[in-house]
Amino acid sequence: MNNQFSLENKNIIITGASSGIGRQCAISCSQIGANIILVDINKEGMDKTLSLMQTANHVCFHKDITKHDTIETLIKIATSKLGKINGFVHSAGIEKTLPLKMMKPEIYRELFDVNVISGYEIAKIISNKKYSNSGASFVFIASIMGILGQSGKVGYCSSKSALIGGMKAMALELANKNIRVNCISPAIVETEMTKKLFENIPIDSKKEIIKMHPLGFGKPEDVANACVYLLSDASKWITGSNLIVDGGYSAR
Amino acid sequence: MKIDDFLYELKETLEIEDVELNEETNLKELEEYDSLSVLSIIAMIDENFGKRISGQDFQSITTIGSLMELIGMENFE
Repeated sequence: MNNQFSLENKNIIITGASSGIGRQCAISCSQIGANIILVDINKEGMDKTLSLMQTANHVCFHKDITKHDTIETLIKIATSKLGKINGFVHSAGIEKTLPLKMMKPEIYRELFDVNVISGYEIAKIISNKKYSNSGASFVFIASIMGILGQSGKVGYCSSKSALIGGMKAMALELANKNIRVNCISPAIVETEMTKKLFENIPIDSKKEIIKMHPLGFGKPEDVANACVYLLSDASKWITGSNLIVDGGYSAR
Repeated sequence: MKIDDFLYELKETLEIEDVELNEETNLKELEEYDSLSVLSIIAMIDENFGKRISGQDFQSITTIGSLMELIGMENFE
């Protein structure tokens, strides 16, 4: 039987591939046969990711994805090497924990620019028939914080919430091209980003946060597995959905 | 930064209206002190001194004077 969960010979572009969830998505997708186009601002991290991946025709781009006008060239180069795109994972993201009173317009802009707009701009380009195959799948890594609130996270929550909202509109708009668009909303996953987050909050708060996850904190592969599913043909009837992968965090 | 200016910034950050602060004031005994206010203080220090203090560093803070020592006394006049 043809394995619908396989990503054999699919070309998948992944942002934020230098660490955390993005890195694991690149590794996991490569292990089941995909060619990966890695995009990240951090070259060193990306090289490390590449060294952990199953060898195939991967391509790395050391790029700042918020420089929107350089993205199409990158897509052109990638597709001329590998062929059309079958999948896109927007995992690049930044986090900010700051009380409302300390927030500033430029902090909101930075959060939205990386977390939302750069992902949508890439989706805009690759949704062009020139660059993607029918049946392509886009996955935006949102957050459970896009559904639930937490104090000190007005900026982060609003950016992830926007990501989920726009994903639904995009799913409807791209359905006639047979492109599927979904989000994954994880709770806290053990990555460099969350490690940094915990350095900035008091230890008592950290203990409280651990308690809020019935299955404990997640591992990057817990999210990458969900991502593989949404990229594969096994999920071909799923679009416009937000898959919650949170160890039970939101079940309370 | 002048110490008085720093005390003023702290009062603004914590929205303290009716208590006078000085170097002997124990931050953690202030009514306005909570985990979120710690994040505000950290952001205020970053903005004014370009210095990043972690939440873990903050654990050892008691008085405003001890916070100033953590920032570095060379930053005050």
